[in-house]
Amino acid sequence: MSQLDELRRIIVGGNADQLADLKNRIESLEHRTNDVAEVLSPAIDKELASGGDRLVESFKEPVSRSLKQAIRTEPAEYAEILYPVMAPSIRRAISQAISSLLLTINRSIDSATSVSAWKLRMQSWRTGVPYAELALRQSLVYRVEHVYLIHRDTGLLIKEISSSDTQTLDSDAIGAMFSAIQSFVQDSFTAGNDSRLTDLKVGEYNVWVAHGAQTMLACVITGDAPEALKQDLYDTLDQIRTDYSIEIARFQGDSSSFDGADLAMSNLLQVRLKDIDEKQAARKSKVPLWPFLILAAVLLFVGYHWFERKTLLDTANHLLDNQPGIATTHLFWEDDKIVVQGLRDPDAKIPFATLESYGISESQIDLRTIPFRSLEVGMELQRFTEELELPSGVYLSEREGSIYLYGEAPFLWLQHNNNRIRQLAADRRLNISQLSPSYESVSDLLEQSFSKEDLARLKMSSLVVDEQSVLVVGGQLDIQSLTILQVMFANSDWVRLNVQPRPLKSES
Amino acid sequence: MDKKKVCMVGDFSVGKTSLTQKFVNNVFSEQYLTTIGVKIDTAIVDETKLIVWDVAGRDSLSPINLSYLVGASGIALVADGTRPETVDDLHSIWDTVEKRIGKVPTVVALNKRDLPEWSVTPEQIQSLKERGWIVFETSAKEGVEVEGLFTQLCRLIQ
Ligand SMILES: Nc1nc2c(ncn2[C@@H]2O[C@H](COP(=O)(O)OP(=O)(O)OP(=O)(O)O)[C@@H](O)[C@H]2O)c(=O)[nH]1
Ligand SMILES: [Mg+2]
Repeated sequence: MSQLDELRRIIVGGNADQLADLKNRIESLEHRTNDVAEVLSPAIDKELASGGDRLVESFKEPVSRSLKQAIRTEPAEYAEILYPVMAPSIRRAISQAISSLLLTINRSIDSATSVSAWKLRMQSWRTGVPYAELALRQSLVYRVEHVYLIHRDTGLLIKEISSSDTQTLDSDAIGAMFSAIQSFVQDSFTAGNDSRLTDLKVGEYNVWVAHGAQTMLACVITGDAPEALKQDLYDTLDQIRTDYSIEIARFQGDSSSFDGADLAMSNLLQVRLKDIDEKQAARKSKVPLWPFLILAAVLLFVGYHWFERKTLLDTANHLLDNQPGIATTHLFWEDDKIVVQGLRDPDAKIPFATLESYGISESQIDLRTIPFRSLEVGMELQRFTEELELPSGVYLSEREGSIYLYGEAPFLWLQHNNNRIRQLAADRRLNISQLSPSYESVSDLLEQSFSKEDLARLKMSSLVVDEQSVLVVGGQLDIQSLTILQVMFANSDWVRLNVQPRPLKSES
Repeated sequence: MDKKKVCMVGDFSVGKTSLTQKFVNNVFSEQYLTTIGVKIDTAIVDETKLIVWDVAGRDSLSPINLSYLVGASGIALVADGTRPETVDDLHSIWDTVEKRIGKVPTVVALNKRDLPEWSVTPEQIQSLKERGWIVFETSAKEGVEVEGLFTQLCRLIQ
């Protein structure tokens, strides 16, 4: 033992062995690993207990990186792990889509009141097959809209046919997109090269794709096509592949050598209307048809009877309500009588003759009306006609809601009815702006009272005063005759005097 | 009519979509809508129908999806003249492309020529030309050399 060792032993005493042990521990990788392993888990727990934010931050990058790496190297395994998680939601989405389709169909046919919709409803009731399903079966048409033959590698369109000539998109671009989608699917979802895009849905279109080694055949379908179409798709592709194997191998973008291929493709342009088998449905039918016929006949009879009575009621209501002075509020059948409720002016006439012509007799009408005074134009017209006893040359008529009393009236009649007429005019129940006294009636009057010489000195003219036409008698008369004239037409609203006293003869 | 598939390749946001849209539809938009996957357009040049595959640009996270390039008759490499690194990237991009689809006719577009930040060095252009590529300094915004780019590409593949 050297002097130095001796000294060390004196200073640190018996701890020297421990020190060596410690040194050994630090230097040995195995020891260090064991030590870290021992504290790692509690350290993480401790960090997590205090929030763990720092831990998450430092693990984020490595974890994400290693996940990516792992998925990249073993995609199939991860797909398998994820499948149970994703499959239910995919299934749910699909079933939702189908049920919403059924709902739409149900609703659209619900709103249609066409005969065929009713036929379907009856059928659904009788056969027990759900209505929507029947509708689906009957109304669904599938139709292949377009068929594309595409060169797989380049995505170039070799040939294309359509069932209609309404093509809005560039078919070459569509062909390329199919191949792009194909590449995308292959790159994104699978490691191997053997899984291919066979079905895709774009809006209301279904696209089915058949794959050959160098070509693919895609068809765009509306509606639900049968699986058999898929077989047709592959058959057609096979046929093209054998018929054009050389051209396909040489294809560089010039499709002119494929001129006959559209013929083979054209049998894919199928349109089919799926119809439900009527006979089969009838055989399955659980309820016989004849009770429905009897029921229908009874309904028809009752319906007709009801319809006839209803029509009579409507007719009576219409005729009465349009009659001046009658306002019906309610009409109904009571036994064999039509009861009429409402208001009725006592002067109003019941149009029995007209009613009779529609098959409603006078005795059938039971009036239970409340009397009232109707100012309805028709009623007023009737009332005035009776009240005024119109002389010839005077008329009453209705124009734009007002009643006009017009024409050239005998002066004496005017005088007699003057107050009544004026009052009605003031109440605006009568318009008399075109009523005037007649020339003849006035000149007749004058002739009876005056001599020929006097008459020769008078002249008549008409004048409108305050929107009222009046007759003006003008001229000269001697004082005596003038007084008689003034008495004759005193206070008359219809004749005005403009007669001057004449100087006496003796004076001249 | 002959049909040919051509692809626009380059880093993200260099103007692949803008060049294609300018050429096909004669429109330009300042708005940047990054392409996802691939967008396909067609145009007719000299009796040939070009099916233009405008492929999503490359960035640090996503490499170019090489399967979109399979079957291409020609390639347009696009770089952004205001970001010199995108010009350098063309070399490595081309190497990966060539590994997958072999040697096909190629033209180069150094895009955004209209911007004052333009900073492509003569050395960079020289290195591109040494590879046998014809280089165009384009502006999708102002329509400079866009026709020339596509017409040249079309001529090379006919
Ligand atoms: N000033 C100018 N801006 C341009 C030009 N070309 C493209 N841009 C702009 O650059 C941005 C990116 O253009 P895009 O054409 O979308 O780029 P991209 O290469 O298709 O991008 P990714 O699809 O993401 O790969 C847009 O905001 C364009 O408006 C140009 O010639 N001049
Ligand atoms: Mg783009």
